[in-house]
Amino acid sequence: MPPYIRRSLIALSIDDPKLAEKAFDSWADAIVLDIVKQAAQDWQQTLKAQMPLAIAAASRGGAEVFVRLNAQTAYAELDATVFAGLAGVVLVGVADAAELVLASAKLDALELERGILQGSLEIDLEINTAQGVWNSLEIARASSRIGTLTINEQALYQNLDIPFETTLEVEPIEFIKGQIITVATSVNGQAQGMSYPLCITQKEVDETTLKKAILRARDTGFKGALCAQPSWVKLCNEGFRPSADEVEYYKEVRQVFAEGLKRGLASVPLNGKMIDVPVDLRAEVYLEWADRVALRDQQKIQAHQQQAISLQSLN
Amino acid sequence: MTTKKNPRRSWLIVPADQAAVSTPVQSQGADVIVLDLEYTVPPKNKESARAGLSVQIAQLAAASAQVFVRVDCATRWADVRAAVTRGLTGIVLPSPEEPADIVEIDALITELEKARGVEVGSTEIVLMLESAKCFWNADTLGRASNRVTAMGVGRIDLSMMLGAVPQNEFRLYRFLMTRTLVAARMLGKQPLGAFWRPGSRGGLASVADTLRAAREARLLGFSGCVCAVPEQVAPVHAGFV
Repeated sequence: MPPYIRRSLIALSIDDPKLAEKAFDSWADAIVLDIVKQAAQDWQQTLKAQMPLAIAAASRGGAEVFVRLNAQTAYAELDATVFAGLAGVVLVGVADAAELVLASAKLDALELERGILQGSLEIDLEINTAQGVWNSLEIARASSRIGTLTINEQALYQNLDIPFETTLEVEPIEFIKGQIITVATSVNGQAQGMSYPLCITQKEVDETTLKKAILRARDTGFKGALCAQPSWVKLCNEGFRPSADEVEYYKEVRQVFAEGLKRGLASVPLNGKMIDVPVDLRAEVYLEWADRVALRDQQKIQAHQQQAISLQSLN
Repeated sequence: MTTKKNPRRSWLIVPADQAAVSTPVQSQGADVIVLDLEYTVPPKNKESARAGLSVQIAQLAAASAQVFVRVDCATRWADVRAAVTRGLTGIVLPSPEEPADIVEIDALITELEKARGVEVGSTEIVLMLESAKCFWNADTLGRASNRVTAMGVGRIDLSMMLGAVPQNEFRLYRFLMTRTLVAARMLGKQPLGAFWRPGSRGGLASVADTLRAAREARLLGFSGCVCAVPEQVAPVHAGFV
Protein backbone atom coordinates (compact mmCIF):
# COMPACT_ATOMS: atom_id res chain seq x y z
CA MET A 1 0.00 0.00 0.00
CA PRO A 2 1.49 3.35 -0.93
CA PRO A 3 1.71 5.59 2.14
CA TYR A 4 0.73 8.56 -0.01
CA ILE A 5 -1.71 8.93 -2.89
CA ARG A 6 0.59 11.06 -4.94
CA ARG A 7 0.27 9.75 -8.47
CA SER A 8 1.04 12.93 -10.36
CA LEU A 9 3.30 15.82 -9.44
CA ILE A 10 4.02 18.90 -11.49
CA ALA A 11 6.70 21.52 -10.95
CA LEU A 12 5.76 25.19 -11.22
CA SER A 13 7.77 28.31 -10.62
CA ILE A 14 6.56 30.67 -7.92
CA ASP A 15 7.31 33.47 -10.39
CA ASP A 16 4.91 32.03 -12.96
CA PRO A 17 2.12 34.61 -13.35
CA LYS A 18 -0.26 31.76 -14.18
CA LEU A 19 0.75 29.61 -11.20
CA ALA A 20 -2.74 29.50 -9.71
CA GLU A 21 -4.48 28.63 -13.00
CA LYS A 22 -1.89 26.03 -14.00
CA ALA A 23 -2.02 24.34 -10.61
CA PHE A 24 -5.82 24.41 -10.53
CA ASP A 25 -6.28 23.13 -14.07
CA SER A 26 -3.65 20.42 -13.78
CA TRP A 27 -5.57 18.10 -11.42
CA ALA A 28 -2.18 16.98 -10.14
CA ASP A 29 -2.06 15.29 -6.75
CA ALA A 30 0.89 17.46 -5.80
CA ILE A 31 2.51 20.70 -6.91
CA VAL A 32 6.23 21.22 -6.46
CA LEU A 33 7.09 24.89 -6.27
CA ASP A 34 10.42 26.00 -7.66
CA ILE A 35 11.83 29.13 -6.10
CA VAL A 36 13.70 31.87 -7.88
CA LYS A 37 16.50 33.62 -6.01
CA GLN A 38 17.05 37.03 -7.55
CA ALA A 39 20.72 37.90 -7.71
CA ALA A 40 21.95 40.91 -5.75
CA GLN A 41 18.70 41.11 -3.80
CA ASP A 42 17.60 40.17 -0.33
CA TRP A 43 16.08 37.00 -1.77
CA GLN A 44 15.10 35.67 1.63
CA GLN A 45 12.83 38.64 2.31
CA THR A 46 11.43 38.47 -1.22
CA LEU A 47 10.65 34.78 -0.87
CA LYS A 48 9.11 35.26 2.56
CA ALA A 49 6.68 37.70 0.99
CA GLN A 50 5.98 35.47 -2.02
CA MET A 51 5.68 32.01 -0.50
CA PRO A 52 2.44 32.20 1.52
CA LEU A 53 0.60 33.49 -1.55
CA ALA A 54 2.23 30.93 -3.82
CA ILE A 55 1.32 28.07 -1.46
CA ALA A 56 -2.30 29.23 -1.34
CA ALA A 57 -2.42 29.60 -5.12
CA ALA A 58 -0.94 26.18 -5.77
CA SER A 59 -3.28 24.39 -3.37
CA ARG A 60 -6.54 25.76 -4.76
CA GLY A 61 -7.26 22.61 -6.73
CA GLY A 62 -6.75 20.36 -3.73
CA ALA A 63 -3.12 19.48 -4.47
CA GLU A 64 -0.53 18.95 -1.78
CA VAL A 65 2.13 21.63 -2.10
CA PHE A 66 5.86 21.18 -1.76
CA VAL A 67 8.78 23.49 -2.30
CA ARG A 68 11.94 22.26 -4.03
CA LEU A 69 15.19 23.39 -2.45
CA ASN A 70 18.87 22.81 -2.97
CA ALA A 71 20.18 20.52 -0.23
CA GLN A 72 23.48 22.38 0.03
CA THR A 73 21.78 25.73 0.68
CA ALA A 74 18.64 24.39 2.28
CA TYR A 75 19.24 25.87 5.71
CA ALA A 76 18.82 29.42 4.41
CA GLU A 77 16.17 28.49 1.87
CA LEU A 78 13.99 26.72 4.44
CA ASP A 79 13.71 29.85 6.52
CA ALA A 80 12.50 31.78 3.50
CA THR A 81 10.05 29.24 2.13
CA VAL A 82 8.40 27.18 4.86
CA PHE A 83 4.96 28.46 5.79
CA ALA A 84 1.62 27.01 6.81
CA GLY A 85 -0.10 25.12 4.01
CA LEU A 86 3.06 23.47 2.79
CA ALA A 87 3.05 19.67 2.90
CA GLY A 88 6.81 19.44 2.81
CA VAL A 89 10.05 20.19 1.06
CA VAL A 90 11.88 18.40 -1.74
CA LEU A 91 15.61 18.46 -1.14
CA VAL A 92 17.64 18.19 -4.31
CA GLY A 93 21.07 16.62 -4.26
CA VAL A 94 21.35 15.37 -0.70
CA ALA A 95 24.76 13.70 -0.53
CA ASP A 96 24.92 12.48 3.03
CA ALA A 97 22.84 11.99 6.15
CA ALA A 98 24.28 15.03 7.92
CA GLU A 99 22.60 17.39 5.46
CA LEU A 100 19.27 15.78 6.17
CA VAL A 101 19.70 15.94 9.93
CA LEU A 102 20.41 19.65 9.65
CA ALA A 103 17.37 20.29 7.44
CA SER A 104 15.15 18.24 9.73
CA ALA A 105 16.26 20.22 12.78
CA LYS A 106 15.55 23.46 10.95
CA LEU A 107 12.04 22.24 10.16
CA ASP A 108 11.51 21.43 13.86
CA ALA A 109 12.30 25.05 14.68
CA LEU A 110 10.23 26.52 11.86
CA GLU A 111 7.18 24.42 12.75
CA LEU A 112 7.34 25.77 16.28
CA GLU A 113 7.94 29.36 15.17
CA ARG A 114 5.26 29.43 12.46
CA GLY A 115 2.46 27.51 14.11
CA ILE A 116 2.76 24.39 11.98
CA LEU A 117 1.88 21.02 13.52
CA GLN A 118 5.07 19.55 14.97
CA GLY A 119 6.60 16.87 12.81
CA SER A 120 4.05 17.33 10.03
CA LEU A 121 6.35 18.71 7.35
CA GLU A 122 7.66 16.01 5.08
CA ILE A 123 11.11 15.82 3.51
CA ASP A 124 11.28 14.29 0.06
CA LEU A 125 14.54 13.53 -1.69
CA GLU A 126 15.50 14.16 -5.28
CA ILE A 127 18.63 12.13 -5.90
CA ASN A 128 20.93 13.29 -8.68
CA THR A 129 24.46 12.11 -7.86
CA ALA A 130 26.42 8.90 -7.39
CA GLN A 131 26.99 9.92 -3.79
CA GLY A 132 23.27 10.30 -3.20
CA VAL A 133 22.67 6.84 -4.65
CA TRP A 134 25.47 5.21 -2.68
CA ASN A 135 24.37 6.81 0.61
CA SER A 136 20.63 6.57 -0.05
CA LEU A 137 19.80 4.18 2.77
CA GLU A 138 21.81 6.13 5.34
CA ILE A 139 20.21 9.37 4.13
CA ALA A 140 16.68 7.99 4.17
CA ARG A 141 17.16 6.69 7.70
CA ALA A 142 18.42 10.04 8.96
CA SER A 143 15.00 11.59 9.50
CA SER A 144 11.53 10.33 10.30
CA ARG A 145 10.21 13.06 8.02
CA ILE A 146 11.23 11.21 4.85
CA GLY A 147 8.27 10.73 2.53
CA THR A 148 9.27 10.06 -1.05
CA LEU A 149 12.44 9.45 -3.03
CA THR A 150 12.81 10.48 -6.65
CA ILE A 151 15.71 10.17 -9.06
CA ASN A 152 16.43 13.19 -11.23
CA GLU A 153 17.47 10.93 -14.05
CA GLN A 154 18.83 13.50 -16.45
CA ALA A 155 21.10 14.89 -13.75
CA LEU A 156 22.13 11.43 -12.56
CA TYR A 157 22.99 10.30 -16.08
CA GLN A 158 25.25 13.32 -16.39
CA ASN A 159 26.83 12.69 -13.01
CA LEU A 160 27.54 9.06 -13.89
CA ASP A 161 28.64 9.99 -17.44
CA ILE A 162 26.02 7.73 -18.98
CA PRO A 163 25.16 8.73 -22.56
CA PHE A 164 21.52 9.61 -23.28
CA GLU A 165 20.56 6.60 -25.37
CA THR A 166 16.85 6.05 -25.53
CA THR A 167 16.59 2.83 -27.51
CA LEU A 168 18.37 0.34 -25.30
CA GLU A 169 16.83 -3.01 -24.46
CA VAL A 170 17.97 -2.72 -20.86
CA GLU A 171 17.82 0.48 -18.86
CA PRO A 172 21.29 1.63 -17.75
CA ILE A 173 20.16 2.54 -14.24
CA GLU A 174 17.74 -0.33 -13.74
CA PHE A 175 19.47 -1.46 -10.54
CA ILE A 176 19.71 2.06 -9.16
CA LYS A 177 15.96 2.39 -9.53
CA GLY A 178 15.53 -0.91 -7.71
CA GLN A 179 17.75 0.35 -4.92
CA ILE A 180 15.84 3.61 -4.52
CA ILE A 181 12.45 1.87 -4.51
CA THR A 182 13.68 -0.56 -1.87
CA VAL A 183 15.25 2.14 0.26
CA ALA A 184 12.13 4.33 0.14
CA THR A 185 9.87 1.45 1.08
CA SER A 186 12.17 0.35 3.89
CA VAL A 187 11.65 3.68 5.67
CA ASN A 188 7.87 3.57 5.13
CA GLY A 189 8.08 6.01 2.28
CA GLN A 190 7.59 5.55 -1.43
CA ALA A 191 9.48 6.11 -4.65
CA GLN A 192 8.28 8.25 -7.51
CA GLY A 193 9.46 7.76 -11.07
CA MET A 194 8.73 7.12 -14.71
CA SER A 195 9.90 4.15 -16.75
CA TYR A 196 12.67 4.16 -19.36
CA PRO A 197 13.05 5.89 -21.77
CA LEU A 198 10.39 8.50 -20.95
CA CYS A 199 12.19 9.19 -17.70
CA ILE A 200 15.03 10.77 -19.69
CA THR A 201 13.36 11.93 -22.89
CA GLN A 202 10.48 13.49 -20.92
CA LYS A 203 8.68 13.92 -24.21
CA GLU A 204 5.09 14.36 -25.18
CA VAL A 205 4.03 10.92 -26.45
CA ASP A 206 0.82 9.35 -27.65
CA GLU A 207 -1.65 8.08 -25.09
CA THR A 208 -1.00 4.38 -25.70
CA THR A 209 2.76 4.78 -25.26
CA LEU A 210 2.29 6.84 -22.11
CA LYS A 211 -0.16 4.37 -20.60
CA LYS A 212 2.30 1.52 -21.17
CA ALA A 213 5.15 3.56 -19.68
CA ILE A 214 3.10 4.37 -16.59
CA LEU A 215 2.06 0.75 -16.14
CA ARG A 216 5.71 -0.32 -16.37
CA ALA A 217 6.65 2.33 -13.80
CA ARG A 218 3.87 1.23 -11.46
CA ASP A 219 4.78 -2.41 -11.83
CA THR A 220 8.43 -1.59 -11.13
CA GLY A 221 7.38 -0.18 -7.78
CA PHE A 222 6.93 3.53 -8.39
CA LYS A 223 3.81 5.07 -6.88
CA GLY A 224 3.63 8.21 -8.97
CA ALA A 225 5.73 10.45 -11.17
CA LEU A 226 6.85 14.01 -11.60
CA CYS A 227 5.06 14.90 -14.83
CA ALA A 228 7.40 16.47 -17.38
CA GLN A 229 4.39 17.34 -19.53
CA PRO A 230 1.01 18.62 -18.30
CA SER A 231 -0.63 15.94 -20.46
CA TRP A 232 0.95 13.23 -18.31
CA VAL A 233 -1.08 14.20 -15.23
CA LYS A 234 -4.40 12.68 -16.25
CA LEU A 235 -2.87 9.37 -17.28
CA CYS A 236 -0.64 9.22 -14.19
CA ASN A 237 -3.73 9.75 -12.04
CA GLU A 238 -5.43 6.90 -13.89
CA GLY A 239 -2.38 4.64 -14.11
CA PHE A 240 -0.69 4.80 -10.71
CA ARG A 241 -3.54 2.98 -9.00
CA PRO A 242 -5.25 -0.38 -9.23
CA SER A 243 -7.12 -0.59 -12.54
CA ALA A 244 -10.89 -1.17 -12.68
CA ASP A 245 -10.23 -4.74 -13.82
CA GLU A 246 -7.88 -5.34 -10.91
CA VAL A 247 -10.43 -3.96 -8.45
CA GLU A 248 -13.08 -6.24 -9.88
CA TYR A 249 -10.76 -9.25 -9.77
CA TYR A 250 -9.57 -8.61 -6.22
CA LYS A 251 -13.13 -8.15 -4.98
CA GLU A 252 -13.89 -11.58 -6.36
CA VAL A 253 -10.70 -12.94 -4.78
CA ARG A 254 -11.76 -11.69 -1.36
CA GLN A 255 -15.24 -13.09 -1.72
CA VAL A 256 -14.13 -16.50 -3.01
CA PHE A 257 -11.44 -16.82 -0.36
CA ALA A 258 -13.78 -15.82 2.48
CA GLU A 259 -16.25 -18.45 1.33
CA GLY A 260 -13.45 -21.01 1.18
CA LEU A 261 -12.40 -20.20 4.74
CA LYS A 262 -15.95 -20.78 5.91
CA ARG A 263 -15.78 -24.21 4.34
CA GLY A 264 -12.51 -24.86 6.15
CA LEU A 265 -10.29 -24.45 3.09
CA ALA A 266 -6.93 -22.64 3.17
CA SER A 267 -6.84 -22.23 -0.58
CA VAL A 268 -9.48 -22.10 -3.27
CA PRO A 269 -9.36 -22.01 -7.07
CA LEU A 270 -10.48 -19.01 -9.10
CA ASN A 271 -10.31 -18.98 -12.89
CA GLY A 272 -7.58 -21.61 -12.82
CA LYS A 273 -5.48 -19.77 -10.21
CA MET A 274 -4.92 -20.71 -6.60
CA ILE A 275 -6.18 -18.19 -4.08
CA ASP A 276 -4.55 -18.44 -0.68
CA VAL A 277 -3.56 -16.12 2.16
CA PRO A 278 -0.89 -14.09 0.27
CA VAL A 279 -3.25 -13.51 -2.65
CA ASP A 280 -6.03 -12.50 -0.29
CA LEU A 281 -3.68 -10.09 1.48
CA ARG A 282 -2.66 -8.60 -1.85
CA ALA A 283 -6.33 -8.21 -2.71
CA GLU A 284 -6.95 -6.43 0.58
CA VAL A 285 -4.06 -4.04 -0.07
CA TYR A 286 -5.14 -3.30 -3.63
CA LEU A 287 -8.75 -2.64 -2.64
CA GLU A 288 -7.72 -0.36 0.20
CA TRP A 289 -5.38 1.43 -2.20
CA ALA A 290 -8.26 1.87 -4.67
CA ASP A 291 -10.49 3.25 -1.89
CA ARG A 292 -7.86 5.77 -0.88
CA VAL A 293 -7.42 6.86 -4.48
CA ALA A 294 -11.18 7.37 -4.77
CA LEU A 295 -11.15 9.43 -1.58
CA ARG A 296 -8.26 11.53 -2.88
CA ASP A 297 -10.07 12.16 -6.15
CA GLN A 298 -13.16 13.18 -4.20
CA GLN A 299 -11.12 15.68 -2.17
CA LYS A 300 -9.82 17.27 -5.35
CA ILE A 301 -13.28 17.44 -6.88
CA GLN A 302 -14.57 19.15 -3.73
CA ALA A 303 -11.70 21.62 -3.82
CA HIS A 304 -12.50 22.47 -7.42
CA GLN A 305 -16.21 22.85 -6.65
CA GLN A 306 -15.47 25.05 -3.66
CA GLN A 307 -13.24 27.22 -5.79
CA ALA A 308 -15.96 27.58 -8.41
CA ILE A 309 -18.45 28.63 -5.72
CA SER A 310 -15.98 31.19 -4.35
CA LEU A 311 -15.45 32.66 -7.79
CA GLN A 312 -19.22 32.84 -8.39
CA SER A 313 -19.77 34.66 -5.11
CA LEU A 314 -17.08 37.17 -6.05
CA ASN A 315 -18.81 37.81 -9.35
CA MET B 1 25.12 15.00 -23.01
CA THR B 2 28.80 15.43 -23.64
CA THR B 3 31.02 12.38 -23.52
CA LYS B 4 34.28 12.96 -21.75
CA LYS B 5 37.26 11.86 -23.74
CA ASN B 6 39.16 9.38 -21.67
CA PRO B 7 42.63 8.48 -22.83
CA ARG B 8 42.70 5.25 -20.84
CA ARG B 9 40.17 3.20 -22.75
CA SER B 10 42.20 0.04 -23.33
CA TRP B 11 44.24 -1.67 -20.63
CA LEU B 12 46.14 -4.41 -22.46
CA ILE B 13 47.26 -7.32 -20.32
CA VAL B 14 50.70 -8.57 -21.29
CA PRO B 15 52.15 -11.55 -19.44
CA ALA B 16 55.27 -10.22 -17.71
CA ASP B 17 57.22 -13.32 -18.70
CA GLN B 18 56.69 -12.58 -22.41
CA ALA B 19 58.81 -9.50 -22.87
CA ALA B 20 58.80 -9.87 -26.65
CA VAL B 21 55.16 -8.74 -26.98
CA SER B 22 55.34 -5.80 -24.62
CA THR B 23 56.21 -3.01 -27.00
CA PRO B 24 53.84 -0.20 -27.87
CA VAL B 25 53.77 -1.21 -31.54
CA GLN B 26 52.86 -4.79 -30.75
CA SER B 27 50.23 -3.64 -28.31
CA GLN B 28 48.12 -2.20 -31.15
CA GLY B 29 48.16 1.26 -29.64
CA ALA B 30 46.69 0.31 -26.29
CA ASP B 31 46.27 3.29 -23.99
CA VAL B 32 47.77 1.37 -21.09
CA ILE B 33 50.10 -1.64 -20.94
CA VAL B 34 49.49 -3.85 -17.93
CA LEU B 35 52.43 -6.15 -17.29
CA ASP B 36 50.84 -9.11 -15.62
CA LEU B 37 52.19 -11.09 -12.71
CA GLU B 38 48.84 -12.70 -12.00
CA TYR B 39 47.26 -15.67 -13.66
CA THR B 40 48.67 -15.26 -17.19
CA VAL B 41 52.12 -16.11 -15.84
CA PRO B 42 52.75 -19.76 -14.91
CA PRO B 43 54.01 -20.16 -11.33
CA LYS B 44 57.38 -21.45 -12.50
CA ASN B 45 57.97 -18.24 -14.47
CA LYS B 46 56.94 -15.76 -11.80
CA GLU B 47 60.37 -15.21 -10.32
CA SER B 48 62.00 -14.58 -13.67
CA ALA B 49 59.08 -12.33 -14.65
CA ARG B 50 59.65 -10.22 -11.54
CA ALA B 51 63.36 -10.06 -12.26
CA GLY B 52 62.74 -8.73 -15.76
CA LEU B 53 60.12 -6.15 -14.84
CA SER B 54 62.30 -3.08 -14.36
CA VAL B 55 63.87 -3.46 -17.81
CA GLN B 56 60.47 -3.87 -19.47
CA ILE B 57 59.04 -0.90 -17.61
CA ALA B 58 61.99 1.27 -18.58
CA GLN B 59 61.66 0.27 -22.26
CA LEU B 60 57.94 0.93 -22.35
CA ALA B 61 58.23 4.21 -20.47
CA ALA B 62 60.94 5.32 -22.88
CA ALA B 63 58.41 4.73 -25.64
CA SER B 64 55.94 6.98 -23.76
CA ALA B 65 53.64 4.14 -22.75
CA GLN B 66 51.65 4.23 -19.54
CA VAL B 67 52.74 1.11 -17.71
CA PHE B 68 50.98 -0.67 -14.89
CA VAL B 69 51.85 -3.96 -13.21
CA ARG B 70 49.06 -6.28 -12.18
CA VAL B 71 50.18 -8.05 -9.05
CA ASP B 72 49.04 -11.39 -7.75
CA CYS B 73 47.01 -10.97 -4.57
CA ALA B 74 48.81 -13.87 -2.89
CA THR B 75 52.30 -12.54 -3.66
CA ARG B 76 51.51 -8.82 -3.85
CA TRP B 77 54.34 -7.72 -1.56
CA ALA B 78 57.07 -9.37 -3.65
CA ASP B 79 55.33 -8.26 -6.85
CA VAL B 80 55.12 -4.63 -5.72
CA ARG B 81 58.79 -4.69 -4.67
CA ALA B 82 59.68 -5.90 -8.15
CA ALA B 83 57.43 -3.37 -9.88
CA VAL B 84 58.01 0.03 -8.29
CA THR B 85 60.59 1.81 -10.33
CA ARG B 86 60.95 4.96 -12.43
CA GLY B 87 58.63 4.72 -15.40
CA LEU B 88 55.92 2.73 -13.65
CA THR B 89 52.54 4.48 -13.76
CA GLY B 90 50.84 2.27 -11.26
CA ILE B 91 49.85 -1.04 -9.74
CA VAL B 92 46.71 -3.01 -10.55
CA LEU B 93 45.62 -4.62 -7.32
CA PRO B 94 43.15 -7.50 -7.67
CA SER B 95 40.57 -8.29 -5.05
CA PRO B 96 41.35 -6.05 -2.08
CA GLU B 97 38.62 -6.75 0.45
CA GLU B 98 39.44 -4.34 3.27
CA PRO B 99 40.86 -0.80 3.29
CA ALA B 100 43.78 -2.15 5.31
CA ASP B 101 44.85 -4.23 2.30
CA ILE B 102 45.28 -1.02 0.31
CA VAL B 103 46.79 1.01 3.12
CA GLU B 104 49.45 -1.65 3.50
CA ILE B 105 50.32 -1.63 -0.21
CA ASP B 106 50.26 2.18 -0.23
CA ALA B 107 52.82 2.23 2.58
CA LEU B 108 55.01 -0.29 0.82
CA ILE B 109 54.90 1.72 -2.40
CA THR B 110 55.81 4.91 -0.51
CA GLU B 111 58.81 3.17 1.07
CA LEU B 112 59.96 1.90 -2.33
CA GLU B 113 59.41 5.28 -4.03
CA LYS B 114 61.64 6.93 -1.42
CA ALA B 115 64.32 4.28 -1.73
CA ARG B 116 64.32 4.25 -5.55
CA GLY B 117 64.16 7.94 -6.34
CA VAL B 118 60.58 7.86 -7.59
CA GLU B 119 58.42 10.89 -6.82
CA VAL B 120 56.56 10.02 -3.64
CA GLY B 121 52.85 9.55 -4.26
CA SER B 122 53.18 9.32 -8.02
CA THR B 123 52.52 5.59 -8.35
CA GLU B 124 48.84 4.95 -8.89
CA ILE B 125 46.73 2.04 -7.64
CA VAL B 126 43.91 0.56 -9.68
CA LEU B 127 41.50 -1.64 -7.75
CA MET B 128 39.90 -4.65 -9.38
CA LEU B 129 36.79 -5.67 -7.47
CA GLU B 130 36.58 -9.44 -7.63
CA SER B 131 34.59 -10.68 -4.64
CA ALA B 132 31.23 -10.03 -3.06
CA LYS B 133 32.96 -8.28 -0.17
CA CYS B 134 34.85 -6.01 -2.58
CA PHE B 135 31.60 -4.70 -4.02
CA TRP B 136 30.05 -3.93 -0.66
CA ASN B 137 33.22 -2.22 0.55
CA ALA B 138 33.86 -0.38 -2.71
CA ASP B 139 33.51 3.09 -1.20
CA THR B 140 35.87 2.51 1.72
CA LEU B 141 38.31 0.70 -0.57
CA GLY B 142 38.33 3.61 -2.98
CA ARG B 143 38.94 6.05 -0.14
CA ALA B 144 41.74 4.01 1.43
CA SER B 145 44.49 5.70 -0.55
CA ASN B 146 44.91 8.87 -2.58
CA ARG B 147 46.78 6.71 -5.08
CA VAL B 148 43.59 4.99 -6.22
CA THR B 149 42.66 6.38 -9.63
CA ALA B 150 40.44 3.68 -11.12
CA MET B 151 38.11 0.91 -10.01
CA GLY B 152 37.31 -2.07 -12.19
CA VAL B 153 34.81 -4.90 -12.23
CA GLY B 154 36.67 -8.14 -11.88
CA ARG B 155 36.52 -11.18 -14.06
CA ILE B 156 33.20 -12.63 -15.06
CA ASP B 157 34.17 -15.70 -13.03
CA LEU B 158 33.24 -13.58 -10.05
CA SER B 159 29.59 -13.77 -10.99
CA MET B 160 29.87 -17.52 -11.21
CA MET B 161 31.52 -17.56 -7.80
CA LEU B 162 28.48 -15.71 -6.54
CA GLY B 163 26.35 -18.57 -7.76
CA ALA B 164 24.67 -17.02 -10.75
CA VAL B 165 24.21 -19.23 -13.78
CA PRO B 166 25.45 -17.07 -16.62
CA GLN B 167 23.00 -16.66 -19.47
CA ASN B 168 23.27 -14.26 -22.34
CA GLU B 169 21.46 -11.50 -20.47
CA PHE B 170 23.72 -11.65 -17.43
CA ARG B 171 21.80 -9.52 -14.98
CA LEU B 172 23.96 -10.12 -11.93
CA TYR B 173 26.94 -8.79 -13.86
CA ARG B 174 24.94 -5.66 -14.72
CA PHE B 175 24.26 -5.17 -11.02
CA LEU B 176 27.95 -5.50 -10.16
CA MET B 177 28.86 -3.08 -12.92
CA THR B 178 26.29 -0.55 -11.72
CA ARG B 179 27.58 -0.73 -8.18
CA THR B 180 31.15 -0.24 -9.36
CA LEU B 181 30.12 2.67 -11.55
CA VAL B 182 28.32 4.45 -8.72
CA ALA B 183 31.23 3.99 -6.33
CA ALA B 184 33.80 5.10 -8.89
CA ARG B 185 31.87 8.19 -10.00
CA MET B 186 31.14 9.10 -6.39
CA LEU B 187 34.87 9.05 -5.63
CA GLY B 188 36.03 10.61 -8.88
CA LYS B 189 37.78 7.44 -10.10
CA GLN B 190 37.73 5.95 -13.58
CA PRO B 191 35.25 3.05 -13.83
CA LEU B 192 36.71 0.09 -15.73
CA GLY B 193 34.74 -2.81 -17.13
CA ALA B 194 33.06 -4.29 -20.17
CA PHE B 195 29.87 -6.25 -20.50
CA TRP B 196 31.48 -9.53 -21.48
CA ARG B 197 29.18 -12.41 -22.22
CA PRO B 198 29.78 -15.92 -20.93
CA GLY B 199 31.68 -17.97 -23.52
CA SER B 200 33.08 -14.89 -25.20
CA ARG B 201 35.46 -13.21 -22.86
CA GLY B 202 39.17 -13.00 -22.10
CA GLY B 203 41.33 -14.01 -25.03
CA LEU B 204 38.38 -15.82 -26.62
CA ALA B 205 36.31 -12.72 -27.26
CA SER B 206 36.12 -11.95 -30.97
CA VAL B 207 36.47 -8.45 -32.35
CA ALA B 208 32.70 -8.19 -32.77
CA ASP B 209 31.99 -9.46 -29.25
CA THR B 210 34.61 -7.13 -27.80
CA LEU B 211 33.10 -4.15 -29.59
CA ARG B 212 29.68 -5.10 -28.25
CA ALA B 213 31.01 -5.57 -24.71
CA ALA B 214 32.78 -2.21 -24.80
CA ARG B 215 29.86 -0.36 -26.35
CA GLU B 216 27.41 -1.73 -23.80
CA ALA B 217 29.79 -0.81 -20.99
CA ARG B 218 30.05 2.72 -22.37
CA LEU B 219 26.26 2.95 -22.38
CA LEU B 220 26.30 1.90 -18.74
CA GLY B 221 28.70 4.76 -17.95
CA PHE B 222 32.10 3.02 -18.09
CA SER B 223 35.06 4.54 -19.89
CA GLY B 224 37.60 1.75 -20.33
CA CYS B 225 38.31 -1.93 -19.83
CA VAL B 226 40.97 -4.61 -19.75
CA CYS B 227 41.94 -6.28 -23.03
CA ALA B 228 43.24 -9.83 -22.88
CA VAL B 229 44.85 -9.77 -26.33
CA PRO B 230 46.10 -6.98 -28.64
CA GLU B 231 43.36 -7.69 -31.20
CA GLN B 232 40.80 -6.38 -28.70
CA VAL B 233 42.35 -2.93 -28.47
CA ALA B 234 40.79 -1.53 -31.66
CA PRO B 235 37.23 -2.65 -30.87
CA VAL B 236 37.61 -1.36 -27.33
CA HIS B 237 38.60 2.05 -28.69
CA ALA B 238 35.65 1.91 -31.05
CA GLY B 239 33.30 1.02 -28.22
CA PHE B 240 34.40 3.60 -25.70
CA VAL B 241 33.59 6.74 -27.63
